[in-house]
Amino acid sequence: MQSLVEESAATEQQTEFNSVISAKRVNVFYGDTQALTNVDLEVPENQITSLIGPSGCGKSTFLRCLNRMNDTVDGCRVEGEILLDGVDIYGPGVDEVLLRARVGMVFQKPNPFPKSIYDNVAYGPRIHGLAANKDELDEMVLTSLEKAGLINEVQNRLHSTGTSLSGGQQQRLCIARALAVQPEIILMDEPCSALDPIATAKVEELIEELKENYSIIIVTHSMQQAARISQKTAFFHLGEVVEVGDTEKIFTSPSDERTQGYITGRFG
Amino acid sequence: MTDTPNDPKASGWYGEKYSANLKKRHKSERLFRRLGLSAILIALGLLGILLFSIVGKGYTAFIQTYITLDITFSESVIDKDGTRDPVKMRSASYGNLVRDALRKEFPEVTQRRDLRALFGLVSKDATQQLRKMIAADPSLIGKTIPVRMLASDDVDMFEKGYISRDVVQDDRRVKDNELEWLDALQADGAISTHFNTRFFTGGDSREPEMAGIWGAMVGSFYTLIVTFLISFPIGVMSAIYLEEFAPKNKLTDIIEVNINNLAAVPSIVFGLLGLAIFLNVAHLPRSAPLVGGMTLALMTLPTIIIASRAAIRAVPDSIRQAALGLGASPQQAAFHHILPLAMPGILTGTIIGLSQALGETAPLLMIGMVAFIADIPGGVFDPATVMPVQIFLWADSPERAFVEKTSGAIMVLLGFLIFMNAIAVVLRKKFERRW
Repeated sequence: MQSLVEESAATEQQTEFNSVISAKRVNVFYGDTQALTNVDLEVPENQITSLIGPSGCGKSTFLRCLNRMNDTVDGCRVEGEILLDGVDIYGPGVDEVLLRARVGMVFQKPNPFPKSIYDNVAYGPRIHGLAANKDELDEMVLTSLEKAGLINEVQNRLHSTGTSLSGGQQQRLCIARALAVQPEIILMDEPCSALDPIATAKVEELIEELKENYSIIIVTHSMQQAARISQKTAFFHLGEVVEVGDTEKIFTSPSDERTQGYITGRFG
Repeated sequence: MTDTPNDPKASGWYGEKYSANLKKRHKSERLFRRLGLSAILIALGLLGILLFSIVGKGYTAFIQTYITLDITFSESVIDKDGTRDPVKMRSASYGNLVRDALRKEFPEVTQRRDLRALFGLVSKDATQQLRKMIAADPSLIGKTIPVRMLASDDVDMFEKGYISRDVVQDDRRVKDNELEWLDALQADGAISTHFNTRFFTGGDSREPEMAGIWGAMVGSFYTLIVTFLISFPIGVMSAIYLEEFAPKNKLTDIIEVNINNLAAVPSIVFGLLGLAIFLNVAHLPRSAPLVGGMTLALMTLPTIIIASRAAIRAVPDSIRQAALGLGASPQQAAFHHILPLAMPGILTGTIIGLSQALGETAPLLMIGMVAFIADIPGGVFDPATVMPVQIFLWADSPERAFVEKTSGAIMVLLGFLIFMNAIAVVLRKKFERRW
């Protein structure tokens, strides 16, 4: 009964949109522990959706369900449906390796490969065979670096190692690397938590630009960040989606008192 | 409170209780440092004793005593018929040339016993040497030229000072009359010492002055090549599979425990296994580097697997996730990213394993690599011995001259080990990447 009420409340708050991912009754278990309970979530196309909530609420777990990165965790089990363009990504015939090419991911800690900047970006196109020749590959690398706003800083040293960059640059390199595979959706798991405020501002600016062409889902611990950049916000608590809706609405007039409590800093 | 007091004790922010405790802590700190330092010094001292004793005993193995005599290549001995037929000339008795030269040098010696002693001054190798000279240049026949020949091991030992004149004759390998002859030769300038190239180019021999380590070095080389070619790919593949792909369950747990146990199995057991399977079941050739290498590979495998797994585990998970997140398959992630990053550790482990194999004797005794083999092995199927077994064989020989050979061989083996470890360091530096 309660979940029905919540559901209607949730839909009521949202403006019309095309959803690119829809999660239906998703349950995730790590061994015997249940990490997510009956999560329903629609992710809008070409918008930024932020997932907020206290530590351990399951927002990262949910994010990692969307490109099946949880498959690499031993003893992790996912139930329910996650539809990408109407196809269940956990259904038969879906190759998780190709799925990850469509749904890119940027991690909490910048994790460039210990290779050159060029090779970092070129790696994705290489393994997927996206470029027919060297010139095309060069083109792809430069475009990706440009989209990630890194080109001016690195164009003279494409062949120095990616790890020689500063933290913020490394994170933008990781974004460029993800863009090079030409994904439709980009998942970001606290992409700014290891960065200083200036680098954070740059990455945020980049994320806002990227939403023109990509659907972005971002997990963040910073409510200001969620408020600054996202159009939709989902609040997770104890493995459930408590409230989901337009960011403005969630932050100004949340309908659930737990959301209210979290965004005003009473817990979390 | 911006200014801190110069003497905290005086200002009183250390209570009595704290300062007593602090004293104790500093004392134990000092004690620990001294203990550590003395442990290092003891270790260094022992190492020094070892090296000093080996080098002190062994450095003379690298020089050898020679006797130069005027050899007349008389036609009557080498080529009675005058046909210059190389086959016939090869079977001539070249020892007579040496004997004639010695007789000419010491005409006063006529007794059979004395003559035998006199002829014993020159190594048996002289016969071979003269035969080779004639084979290479038959025009020498009829000429008389000075030829430098190996002295026998007793002469060599005497010249190096290991045999003292002051010992009573009965306890001395070089008798009084031999001493006289040697003194005469010495006065003529016929006795000389030179660098012992033969030690580094020759195979084993029953005569110490003719024995070399090269045969054993080549045997060790072939054996290690076989060991490496078998244990490295299998070891690294097993490690990757176990770390990256295998499900974590009871079975893999059992495998893990067993690999760890195998690393601790005494090496002679692997030798018995090699004897039972490779020789008695598979009927592979005895004493061959192939079988030795296979046996040592069994022994080296657990070391390589354990080291490789540790190296793979040390690769940060973020690299794995980055690759998978881009849509790399687990296999691509493993071979493009994890393996290159784990390579320094894997190579270090492999070279430690191979160094162990290089120094291993016991399992090779089981499969017949302890046989006396004078020829240089030409491949992995030829009978061969390896350096540690050669050391064992020489240490077991009664001749005084083998003592220095043993120490010399140990030095060569240590040199080999240092060389291999240097390679490990170089490879490590080459593959090491920071992230």
